[in-house]
Amino acid sequence: MSDQAATTRMGPSSPHALVWLSEPVLALVVFVLLALLPIFLPGYVIYILPQYMLFGLMAMSLVLMWGFAGMVSFGQAAFFALGAYTMGLVMKAGGPINPGYIGLLLAALVGGGIAGLVGYFLFSAGVRPTYFVLVTLALSIMMEQIAVSQSQITGGWNGMYIDRLSLTFGRFGAVSLYDDAPMYWFVLPIMAAIYFGLRALVRGRFGKVLAGIRENEDRLISLGFRTPLWKTAAFALSGALACFAGALYGTHASFVAPSLGGVLFSTEVVVWVAIGGRQSLLGGLLAGIGVASLSNFLSAITPQYWQLVLGVLFVVTVLFFRGGIAGVLGRLVERHAGGPRA
Amino acid sequence: MSTALSVLLDATLITLVLALASFGLAIIFGLIGVINMGHGAMLTLGAYFTWACMETGIPFVPAALLAALGVGLLGLALEHFVIRYFYDRPFDTLLLTWGFFLITTEIIKIVFGTDFRSVANPLRGGWDLGVIEIPIYRGAVAAFSLLVILATGLVLFRTGLGIKIRALIQNREMASLLGLNIGLTYKLVFAFGAFMAGLAGALLTPMMSIDPYIGNIYLVRAFFAVTVGGIGQILGGTLIGSFLIGGTETVFALFSSQALAQTIVFALAILVLRFRPAGVLAQR
Repeated sequence: MSDQAATTRMGPSSPHALVWLSEPVLALVVFVLLALLPIFLPGYVIYILPQYMLFGLMAMSLVLMWGFAGMVSFGQAAFFALGAYTMGLVMKAGGPINPGYIGLLLAALVGGGIAGLVGYFLFSAGVRPTYFVLVTLALSIMMEQIAVSQSQITGGWNGMYIDRLSLTFGRFGAVSLYDDAPMYWFVLPIMAAIYFGLRALVRGRFGKVLAGIRENEDRLISLGFRTPLWKTAAFALSGALACFAGALYGTHASFVAPSLGGVLFSTEVVVWVAIGGRQSLLGGLLAGIGVASLSNFLSAITPQYWQLVLGVLFVVTVLFFRGGIAGVLGRLVERHAGGPRA
Repeated sequence: MSTALSVLLDATLITLVLALASFGLAIIFGLIGVINMGHGAMLTLGAYFTWACMETGIPFVPAALLAALGVGLLGLALEHFVIRYFYDRPFDTLLLTWGFFLITTEIIKIVFGTDFRSVANPLRGGWDLGVIEIPIYRGAVAAFSLLVILATGLVLFRTGLGIKIRALIQNREMASLLGLNIGLTYKLVFAFGAFMAGLAGALLTPMMSIDPYIGNIYLVRAFFAVTVGGIGQILGGTLIGSFLIGGTETVFALFSSQALAQTIVFALAILVLRFRPAGVLAQR
């Protein structure tokens, strides 16, 4: 599975005309444009976009597993929904400390904990990527069925109402997030921070070891790396991120239903990431936001054919463009800049 | 006592029906190592083709055969145009067959709509065994499932074709050096697996209402049935795996809800996969 994009990304950067078109700069431009959006485009778009940004976070949690650890999870939406339910339960319980904060924290801990347990359980036995897909697929079915059957806790098919969180700063006051614009400006910097944080992580030692495992696990083992632990760490982080994003999603949408954790949504994330670029955090993030936005827009016009088009795009990507859109763009930039760059 | 007997009979029927639904998957997975994520869509297609044939007035049995043939041809095309280029990259075949699932499901939704459809039961009535009454049709499908597995066993272990296929599993390179046409054998196996999936879908239709996602329920259960039973052990493994998945689910469903029973069984299956990754039948 040696991939051109992965090897070039690690290569030395060369000073060139297009050097400014690197990924973090592109990310920064996108984030700034998104930050300015509410000024020009109030209304529904500002309400709905944060939800898609959170989908983008979930997509990045899959990029971490797929692009770096080489393991595809078909169960990211299960963690996403788990986060939303956690948030809902904590918000309902209330408490002396702002339940919104507790909910977000607990969601990340629960998601990371469960993913860590499942991950260690599987990786310590050397589970193959194909089996990992099956197990995570089963996780999302289990999540959906538990959500449906434990209706006294989760509300069953009817779903669960979740209050919007408010930001409190102790003696310094509070900010309500009930309006759409404050919520938007709350979610956007979180997304940006997580993107840059993950990027730093995967470009550091952690990402290099994961890439090494992906390319040649036996060699890493013989070099003394305890690869199951590294893979477990990656999955725990991925689960924590998906769960955290789901908690924010739940409080933003004020609602969670079992289908949020189901197989169909879980595998939709796989489609986004494949199309955006399985090895590119920004590709996954933007594909999540972009495809979800397009789905919303096109579902109104052509609900049936849009899903079909997505399916065809997915197959074409797997067949001919393994790096997805990010891979294709990366190669174009490379050609014009004349040499590998970071 | 009579409860135990009726549960046992029920579990046997469920096992055999699940084994039939898993069989196409087991064939493709066990013989050529492709994880066919499109298996669920093939089951669904078999069901819809049967429904469509019967709408034109064809009786059930030929309709089911036509449907299975249609799905088999589709599998042949899928193998010929896509899958055969990816045999050395098993993970990509997983993704590609999942793409097949996505596309097929959407096409089914466009062509047939999302309304529930149903097919009239060709064998009405029940078979009274004293403690439990077995619907005749379900009994017939279970018997047919057993027959199919036995027949496949005969082909695999008693015919020249079977020897070729087994040689292929054992040592692909050597088999091809000895003049075996690998490409053709793989193609036939894949198409046969698709045919069996279509046939299973067709035979399941009178027992449930059809919607574009019915195959989904069976996809993961079939996978677990096959992997828990053991991949190399196509016939016995599929039966045992189906019994562990389907039978356990029946027993658990006695004490809790159907949904919870399925969750518990999946968790157990994950446990089994962790500790016996080659299946319960495999020798250590």
